[in-house]
Parts: sequence; C-alpha cells; structure tokens
Amino acid sequence: MVTLDLASMSVRDANRRLRELGEAGEDAEILNPDARHHIGVGLVHPITVRVRGSAGYFCAGLTDGARFEIDSNVGWGVGDNIYNGTVVVGGNAGAVAGVAIRGAEIVIKGNMGSRAGQVMKAGTLLCCGNASFMAGTMMYGGRIVILGRSGEKLGEDMTGGEIYVAGGIDSLGTDAMEIDISSDEVASLQDFLDRHKIPFNGHFRKVVNAGTKLRYTTPEPTLRNQSCTQASVGGFWNEKTKEDIEVKAVTGRYRVRGYGTARAVPHFNDIAFRKEIAPDADALSKVNLAMTLGDRSGAKPLSLSMPVLIAPMSYGALSRSTKLALGIASRLSGIAENTGEGGMIPEERAEAGQLIFQCLSGRLGWNVRDMQKADAIEIYISQGAKPGLGGQLMASKVTPELAAIRGIPPGIDLRSPSRHPDVLGADDLVIKIEEFREATGYAKPISVKLGAGRVKDDIKIAFKDGFDFVELDGLQGSTGAASAEVIEHVGIPTLAAIVEAIEALDEVGAKKNEMPIVLMGGIKDGVDAAKAIALGAGAVAVGTAALIAGGCISCMRCQAGYCVTGIATQNPQHEKRYRTDVEAGNIHRFLESMRWQMAAIVHGLGKTDVRQLCRDDLVALTPEAAAITGLPFEDRS
Amino acid sequence: MGRDLIAMLDGCQHRGPDSTGFALYADGADDLYRLRFYVGEGAEAAVSIARIKEILADKGAELLAGEQVGGSFAASVRHAGDVRPFAYAMEHAAKLFSLGHRLEIVKDEGTAHEVDARYHLSAIQGTHGLGHVRLATESAVRPEAAHPFWATGFSDIAIVHNGQITNYWKWRRRLEKLGFEFRTDNDSELIAVYLAKKLSDGASLKQALTDSIEDMDGTFSFLVSTGNEIGYAKDRLAAKPMVMVETDQLVAIASEEVSLNRLFPGQALSTREPLPGTIGTWSR
Ligand SMILES: Cc1cc2nc3c(=O)[nH]c(=O)nc-3n(C[C@H](O)[C@H](O)[C@H](O)COP(=O)(O)O)c2cc1C
Repeated sequence: MVTLDLASMSVRDANRRLRELGEAGEDAEILNPDARHHIGVGLVHPITVRVRGSAGYFCAGLTDGARFEIDSNVGWGVGDNIYNGTVVVGGNAGAVAGVAIRGAEIVIKGNMGSRAGQVMKAGTLLCCGNASFMAGTMMYGGRIVILGRSGEKLGEDMTGGEIYVAGGIDSLGTDAMEIDISSDEVASLQDFLDRHKIPFNGHFRKVVNAGTKLRYTTPEPTLRNQSCTQASVGGFWNEKTKEDIEVKAVTGRYRVRGYGTARAVPHFNDIAFRKEIAPDADALSKVNLAMTLGDRSGAKPLSLSMPVLIAPMSYGALSRSTKLALGIASRLSGIAENTGEGGMIPEERAEAGQLIFQCLSGRLGWNVRDMQKADAIEIYISQGAKPGLGGQLMASKVTPELAAIRGIPPGIDLRSPSRHPDVLGADDLVIKIEEFREATGYAKPISVKLGAGRVKDDIKIAFKDGFDFVELDGLQGSTGAASAEVIEHVGIPTLAAIVEAIEALDEVGAKKNEMPIVLMGGIKDGVDAAKAIALGAGAVAVGTAALIAGGCISCMRCQAGYCVTGIATQNPQHEKRYRTDVEAGNIHRFLESMRWQMAAIVHGLGKTDVRQLCRDDLVALTPEAAAITGLPFEDRS
Repeated sequence: MGRDLIAMLDGCQHRGPDSTGFALYADGADDLYRLRFYVGEGAEAAVSIARIKEILADKGAELLAGEQVGGSFAASVRHAGDVRPFAYAMEHAAKLFSLGHRLEIVKDEGTAHEVDARYHLSAIQGTHGLGHVRLATESAVRPEAAHPFWATGFSDIAIVHNGQITNYWKWRRRLEKLGFEFRTDNDSELIAVYLAKKLSDGASLKQALTDSIEDMDGTFSFLVSTGNEIGYAKDRLAAKPMVMVETDQLVAIASEEVSLNRLFPGQALSTREPLPGTIGTWSR
C-alpha cells in the first residue's frame, strides 16, 4: 500500500498518483486529508483508497470500480454518480450523499445530511445513523436504507426505488407512501448489512412512490398543431392562441410543447450591416473562419473550422438516427456536436469528430467513462426556452431502451429537477467544476449552458468560476418539450443577451474572447451568425435550423413523440422513415451555406478573419433594436 | 482570534475570491464605542476623516483615539445617550462599517491573507468573531458591499449569511416604517437589523433566531453575533451548507469542514451539520 500525505501534496497531485496506482493495481492510503475536496475523484480502476481522517466534497465522486474507506466524515455529494464501487464512511456525511449513484454501495456509519440519494438510479445507500430532510428526493431507482430516524419529506417526488427506515419517519414527501415489506427484501437487507458487518436487529418500514404524479392524467393531444413557423401566429388573436385555448379546455393545464417562441421579438433581422458587401465567389479561400474554443484554463481546446456548433439536443427528445445525422454532419463540416441531456450514445461518439458531453440536473446517462471519451464537458444550468425548469420527456418517448441508458423507470412522464442537486449557488458551482476537471485530468474544456435571464450576473459568475466558454441561449431558443408559458414569457431575447453578456465581461475586465460566448436561440443562417459575432459572440450554435435542414417539417408534435419525420420521436415506425445519411448530407450542406455566408460577409467588409467583425459594422433598423444593442438607428424603411 | 479566522477563510476562499471580511470582538468598555469607517486612501481619506471628526464633535462625542489602518479609520469614542441617532448620524457622515463597544468590522477587496496584510488582523486577540468570503457580481468590487454586515444603528451586532431572502422587500418596508435605516439593499443587512430590533425589544437571541426562521423566506444559513453571544439559523430547505465543531475550548461553524480542519490540522473532527430549520446560540 502506498501512502500519500496531503500535508505536503495537493489533492490534484494525489489524484494523479491514485490514477497511476489504480492502473498498476496498488492500493493507497491518504494521510492528513483535513476535509479537502475531490479526494479520489475520477478513478476507474479497482483500487482501495483509505482516507485517514475526514474528506470534503465529492469524495469518491465520478468513479467506477474503486473502493473507498474514510475514517471520519465526508462533505457534500460523497460517491457522486458511482456506477460500481463501494464507499464506507466512518463518520457523518454532508448533504446529497450518494447523489446520482448508478450501482454503488455506500455505507455511512454516522448521520447523513439533507437530500441524500437525490436522482440516484441504482445501488444501495445505507445510513446507520439518522437521515436529515428529504432523503430520496427525486430518486429514480435503487434503495436507501436508514437504520436511525428519517427527517421530513422522505422520498419527496421519488419516481422509483425503495426506501427502508428502521427508526421513525418524521414525514413522507409528496407522492411517497408506505407499503408492506416482503420477507425476501428483509433477507436481502440483512445480507447487505451482514456483508458490511453492521449489527442490526430492528424492523424496517418501506417507502415507495405512490404513483399519483408519474404521468399527466390527460396526455397532450397528438394532432398536428399550429406551427410556430406559420404567419398566422402573428397578431393578437390568432390560430395558435385559439388552438392553445382549445387544448387547455381538454387537458386543464399548461401546454407542453416543443420549438421556441411563437411570437416576434427584436432579433438579428432588426440589425443590418452598415456597408455594402461586394460578393466574391472566392471569398471562402480569402478569409479565416477557423478557431479554437476552450483553452482558457489550459485544456485541449475544440478545433472548429468555423465559429458554429451544433446546439445541445438530447437523445430522447431526438431519435438515435437524428443524433447520428447531426454527429456526421458536424464531422463533415469540421465543427462540434453536443450530447445534450440523456447520455452519450456510442454511435454518436463514433460519428461526431468532436463531442461535448452535457451534465444536467437529473444526471440521466451522465457517467465518468463517457466524460473521459468526450472532447469537452458542459454543465447545464438552464436554456432559453425554459429558464428555471427541469427537463421534461413525455411518457410516449420514454421507451425501455431510452429508460435503460438514462437509468429510469420506462413509461413515466420524466421530469428532472429544476436545479442541480449539488449546485445551489455560484459557490457550490466552483466545487462542481473542479470535480469535473479532476475526473478528466484537467485536459478537457468545461463550459456552461445558460438561458438568458439575469445575463449580467450569470456571465460574471461564469467568468469568476473559471469556465472555458459559455453557451448562451436567448428567449427564442427551442426545446423538445417545455411549458408554453415559459417558452414564450421567461427570459430575454438573444439580441439583448449577447449585448448584456459582453457588457458583463467588460465589467469584470475579461479580455476579448478570454471566455468566448457561444450564442444561440433563433440563429437561422450564416448572416445571423456574422451579426452575432460582430456583436461580440465568439461563435454561434444552431438547433432548430439544423433540424429543419435535416428534415423537420415543424409539425409541432415533438413533445408527444409523434414526429412523422422520425426526428423528435422514439417510435421505431416513425424513425424508420428517417434516412440518416441523406439527412446528414442535408445538414452538412446547410452548415456549408453558413460557412459561405460568413466568408462572403467577412470578405465583403474588407476583412480577412471572422474575428475582425465588430459593432462598427452594424446598424439597427428599428428603434427597439437600437435601444437593445446601442447600435446607431438607421431607418431604412 | 484573528489568525484563526484568517485560516478558516483561507480554507474556503474558493467560494468567494473577490472580497473578504471580518467581524471581531475584543474587550470593551460600556461608555466607549469603537467605530470603523471605510475612508479609502490619500486625499479622499483625509476629507472623510475631517468630516467624521466634525460630526463627532457635532454630536457631542469625544474622539479618544483615531487611526488609519488600510482603507479604514478606526475611532475610539466616548458618547453618552441614545446610540441609534448617534449611529445614524455617523453613518450619514461616512461609510461606517461597524459601531459597538466591542465589535469592529474590517472588510475589503482581496483574499483573507491580502486583507490581513493591509489591516494586520492576525495579531488581533478576541473572544469571538465572524468571517466571510465573497464572489461579487456588481460592476466594481466595493468594500462596502462585502460582508460581514453590521446591524446598522445597533451596537455590537454583526452577521454573515449565505443564501437569499425572498421576502426581503416586505421586511425592509416594515422595518423602515418603524424608523430603521438601511445602508445597502443587501439581504444580510436586513437580517441583522431584523434581529437587532428583536433584541432591543427584549427578546433573547434564541427567540430572535427562532422567529427569523418563521419570518424569513428563502434559503439561508447565517451566523449572528452580539457583544456576548453568537448564534446560527438554518432555513427549512437546508439548501446552504453549514457544519460545526464544538470542543471545551471553542465552537467553530463554517460552510465546509475544510475550514474547521484548518484549526486542527491532521485531526479527524467530530463535526455535525445543523438540521434544517434549527437555531443555536452560545454565550461567552
Ligand atoms: C429537440 C431539442 C432538444 C433540446 N435538448 C437540449 C438539451 O438536452 N440540453 C440543452 O442544453 N439544450 C437543449 N435544447 C436547446 C438547444 O440546445 C438550443 O438552446 C436551442 O435549440 C437554440 O435555439 P435554436 O433552436 O433557435 O437554434 C434542445 C432543443 C431542441 C430543439
């Protein structure tokens, strides 16, 4: 056994040694841990790590196959996301112990803090003492065993799994209920306790999901609805408003739909280039569009042939074939793709030249192995279509295959939490980012996805928290499913978002492109992209435009999973209609048109590099756009 | 005391690199007040200090000693009579960080060690204290926006708070109607004044903290101190971290155990996390 002393060694160095020891098959002992964070994060080998004292946040987090024994206490998020492995804590654990585990065995000899086992999917979390408030909140599977007392709201909004409590229960959470325990279960629990040498001779009470909130009582209608792309959605009373009222008269609740806002807000159409642009068929060969993204902290950056990315869109909202088509197109165009929520599918990884792996609050499909396969890691805080809401995936799309990769029960109207279990403020976020960096050896850029709301504060926090780049999504941004109220009425337009973001970066003294902003939300072509970059964006991302290029007919049935073209569906009959190679070619050609447009504009303005575009190149065509952007108003009507 | 707080704050500086602040309690006398102003540097400081002296004289307070330390002016003052009108008058005259028989608040841009280098805090002996590290989102990092906050107008009461009070304006309006003043729009200052009012009405610190859990909406973990007591309250949602260790010699409370461990390097501590919706107090 090798001894590592944290009195004379940083956690980062110790973790690097642990990885080497893991590979070599040697165990380790950590001295003087003094409650430092991230001890052992990212280990993927069968190694035993003994921590002689207390560990801080995310001890053993994002590991697979290791065993940890901690003599004393641990901070928040012990065992975060472990697939396989064991953690034994001799003392107490802080909040969100066993967050998002997918198979781990976690044993806490003392008490555990609030929200233990949040969004866990499989495995066992045992607490020999008392559990604080909201244990098992939003858990999807696995079991929590509490030998002492449970605090209030046990199993709040759990969707799957079991909770066993031997002491009292202060109160049950929403949609949790107590049921009888079978003798098989008692035997299995006893077996677990015996294996971990925990003496016990009490009785268990069992708590499970009560099933009252797993599905909406009346599903969204699957009719072909009024499309956001139709002219008729303009005006005050229109066909869309009428349809909304009719549907609500059936379901009696908010509408859940895909796509972005249906109403007009000030946008890139309302600004223009000041000078005449002389077309040149050879523009592409005369200007530089290529860039790197994400090297602020010394990680290996993404290398983009032009300042365009595919927006994060989940496997789940989209079909597997569509994710592949996006991956192929991104590779053909030399840009980057993004997994979105719901995990990384191997074929997508193989097809996309560069792939960003997104971490959302539900940790659905999130895991260390795929992190290590990704080219960049992104933490999702919110998106333009639904700032403040968690993800939604309607039951019709939660097929057994999809449920398996996400680690959830099939056939439920899936909701993920509206915030990360372990990030409740900018200060927690710093610690989370560091966990990601430890798990990926500081080699990969870490970005953040933000919906545009309080952009100034958010961008300053992102800058101070050390992100390599930001994906910023305006009010217009699309979604696979969200409540229409939020899609239409929460957030600020993309145009306002980029202006505020750049102001914020100026205020904190960021150098140009030190932390690039990838802007999205209604970017429909290379002209919008060039305008966004002139306003200060480092790059743009396209969601809807790429989907339309790849066959989306805007039938407005994304949320119901009834997409007839096989894009926003998990129905094999529908997906069969989707021709991946053909659509990949279409998306690729569309991306190439963006490239050509950007090149033509850059060259036409007498510049040689896309980064030379600037605000002076632009004018505002409406008073509103002028007010938002501060660009000179030029009435060209 | 100073050295311990610096070590604890250094341990959690990752949570807030922009500014660091200290509320320190040393021995005091009942007829003397310590006042800490932020005056800045150079000519600006001279103007502020002149103004402070003028208003002190105007209010019949005798300046016994005055010293410029870093960007602050530390004054020792004899004043008899009602403290609130006096405190408000001084507060209007300059940026008053704290007033009390025993309390002094020192806060500025930079890390715990940087602030220590400017204000010489490690040498300070005391009975108890609070500390805070802050990540700022305002345009310029200003010392007066840093924490801890003094309960404006009240002697010896200070607070540090992590979280967000969502019924801030409701309570602010209520307290303003009763004649209380606020220096900032910061919710930490609100909690301090809210508690100070309860204490001045005769409530015990225990009672005031218990009431605050009912009255304050939102997420919070806060620590409050008076000349003789220290206490915490934690909201019902348990959204913000707090962990403590108690020995025969001391009680230490922090966001993270890593800060507590700075006081006991190499030792495993027997710590505990306060339960949601609970309070605790200690007196000297
Ligand atoms: C079908 C679909 C699924 C999406 N899934 C995610 C997701 O998993 N994570 C995310 O950050 N954004 C997601 N988004 C939002 C996009 O990343 C992006 O913010 C938005 O679509 C940009 O606006 P645009 O569509 O007008 O280009 C999704 C959007 C769509 C249309």
